[in-house]
Amino acid sequence: MKHILLAGAAAMALTASLAHAEQVTVFGPWLGPDQENVEAVLAAFAEASGNDVRYVGSDSFEQQILVDAEAGSAANVSVFPQPGLAADMASRGFLTPLADGTADWVRENYAAGQSWVDLGTYAGADGSDSLYGLFFKVDLKSLVWYSPENFDDAGYDIPQSMEELIALSDQIVADGGTPWCIGLGSGGATGWPATDWVEDLLLRTQTPDVYDGWVSNEISFNDPRIVAAIDEFGVFAGNDDYVAGGAGAVASTDFRDSPKGLFSSPPQCYMHRQASFIPAFFPEGTSVGEDADFFYFPAFASKDLGKPVLGAGTVWTITNDSPAAHDLMAFLETPEANEIWMARGGFLTPHKGVDTSVFGDPTLAKMNDILLNATTFRFDGSDLMPGGIGAGAFWTGMVDYAGGKSAQDVADAIQDAWDALK
Amino acid sequence: MDIAGQKSSLSWAVNISVVLLVGLWLFPTVGLLVSSFRTSDQISTSGWWKAMFPSEQNLTLRTDAPELQVQEGNLYIIEGRLFAPDKDAVISEWGVSSREIDSYTAGDTAPLKKGGEVTLQADGSYRMENTEPFTGTRGTRIFVTATTPPEFTLRNYQNVLFDPSNSEGMAKAFINTLTVTIPATIIPIVIAAFAAYALAWMEFPGRALLIAIIVGLLVVPLQLALIPLLKLHNEIGIGKGYLGAWLAHTGFGLPLAIYLLRNYMVGLPRDIIENARVDGATEFQIFTKIILPLSFPALASFAIFQFLWTWNDLLVALVFLIDSTGDTTVMTKQIVELLGTRGGNWEILATSAFVSIAVPLMVFFAMQKYLVRGLLAGSVK
Repeated sequence: MKHILLAGAAAMALTASLAHAEQVTVFGPWLGPDQENVEAVLAAFAEASGNDVRYVGSDSFEQQILVDAEAGSAANVSVFPQPGLAADMASRGFLTPLADGTADWVRENYAAGQSWVDLGTYAGADGSDSLYGLFFKVDLKSLVWYSPENFDDAGYDIPQSMEELIALSDQIVADGGTPWCIGLGSGGATGWPATDWVEDLLLRTQTPDVYDGWVSNEISFNDPRIVAAIDEFGVFAGNDDYVAGGAGAVASTDFRDSPKGLFSSPPQCYMHRQASFIPAFFPEGTSVGEDADFFYFPAFASKDLGKPVLGAGTVWTITNDSPAAHDLMAFLETPEANEIWMARGGFLTPHKGVDTSVFGDPTLAKMNDILLNATTFRFDGSDLMPGGIGAGAFWTGMVDYAGGKSAQDVADAIQDAWDALK
Repeated sequence: MDIAGQKSSLSWAVNISVVLLVGLWLFPTVGLLVSSFRTSDQISTSGWWKAMFPSEQNLTLRTDAPELQVQEGNLYIIEGRLFAPDKDAVISEWGVSSREIDSYTAGDTAPLKKGGEVTLQADGSYRMENTEPFTGTRGTRIFVTATTPPEFTLRNYQNVLFDPSNSEGMAKAFINTLTVTIPATIIPIVIAAFAAYALAWMEFPGRALLIAIIVGLLVVPLQLALIPLLKLHNEIGIGKGYLGAWLAHTGFGLPLAIYLLRNYMVGLPRDIIENARVDGATEFQIFTKIILPLSFPALASFAIFQFLWTWNDLLVALVFLIDSTGDTTVMTKQIVELLGTRGGNWEILATSAFVSIAVPLMVFFAMQKYLVRGLLAGSVK
């Protein structure tokens, strides 16, 4: 079989005019429309380099990459949705460090460059740190979605601070409406939307140092400051008047269905806090910017913590070394690679050299502004925690919390799970 | 006592429980079938059992944009119908604000917040009047409570089968699935038939132990073997591909195949085989001339099992077949891809289920008479 493949590759190399054309395989988490977008970027690389580039997506990326890496049949380039998993793979020797100088380039050319370098730098199998991952495609999480026309009908204004947001929620309740739609359901990953809430609220109640300490577990999960942030989430999700369907419905509502309440008649809710990807689950024909819009999930005016922003992103790593894989990484550093996806929508980038006028729609430009105006940018903490916590105990803990357990009990249980992992 | 030709007094209980069981089995399938003809918005707002009847719904509709207004005398007018021309819906109550969606009844005239007024009839036709020109880029939202007839769509099937962006992929995946399934069904049957004959009718030391080991292998979960087996494939140069997938399916299918066929063959009459031996037939002749034709029901029932399992398989295909070139994708994988990065497209899931069971259903109905016979014959001596 291998010989056939080699013969096939050789035949391809002969037919292609470039003598050194190679096959580059890319494995990532995107399917559907996102897959077409990433393939457009890769097609541009294929054209520029003459290589044959293949992309395969999987909805169970996290499991599949482990199987392929263990067996030694991984793709040349793998795109991790969670840096925590990439760090784990690096420590087991499955990743190849990126070319020298990449770290300096990221520092220079990405907004908040050092933090992106830190997020992509892991300890390898020999224990020494090097840059393994390049971030390409970023999601913004600190957004509140709403229907401008419903706000208009009721005469509500966009809140500029957390105090105003809570006052607006109370106002909506007083007017006989329900302010929030919150849904935690997500199949095997049920609970993750709540982890985003807690992270966002922690950044708004404590300094970024506390957040960093919490993510690395230097500050324990059941620290009073963390428990307070969980309870802050309870202010929204634990209040029957605040949530469509009541607090009991939070854990059982699917996160993909919950934003639909914004558009029902009469509106089931007025606001929905979710990341930049959520318009994909709005009812068909919803136009973002007109039928639905978003505002920044505001910080407390009384606390001097600036404008913290929570985000996530995909990190590109080399899982099967080849010269062409390094060429692909170099291609991703060009503004063109970013602009191809920017024009196709659903793409944000910290790259400072891109032409923001190519954004497919104005809302993306508005999101990128939030990203670039942030005084603090922090990566989704649950993606950085060890898999057993960030994709396990934290999720189930939040489901328990939504089910009525106290924040202290939940935090204690998560800390116990973390201790057991050490 | 049951006597042939006489009806049991409990036959009504049997009949009722059969009806119940059939109903239990059909209920989710019918739900899936109905859902496959509905849009995702319909699925998320109402249950499939409501889809078959006219239903009262709260809808948010939009009038034509101000650019379509005409001037009559000193009035600016926009006229039209809220529903598509071919849709029959009857409006009972309506409103112009999301806070008050039922303040007016059909035929009423309501003032608009931005000036002017609107009159709405029960069939959805409206007339907006204003002394000033209407402004803005979009029409006014109108909230109606309407009774709409059942509505079904073929678009899901069109999406799954003929959408230009994936119809090519679906056709390729169909061929790939057949390429996996047919050899992965035939190879284990051939091997297992030989093995089963040897274990049933050939005397050799350690036969009982061998049978015990094979029965023991039935309980080994295949997930346990995924990584070691893939490593082995990579080391001996098979890598990921059809050969690897066939070998994996063969290996995982063999214990059940041998067990099922051996139990069936052991039950064949000893006299026939001994007669053949006396007449000078070789073991191979006995196997091909006597055992194989007699074992057809068991072979067929195992073929159905193995075919269904390999047809529906995603796990083995992901691990042993689908390499990073993406050329060897199978139907199950193609369907998962249709669900998108974050899943949740119920309508695609329901439709794909019906598309992918078409071939197994044909196989099942073509061979079902062997299924029960083979099963019973294999298990009861």
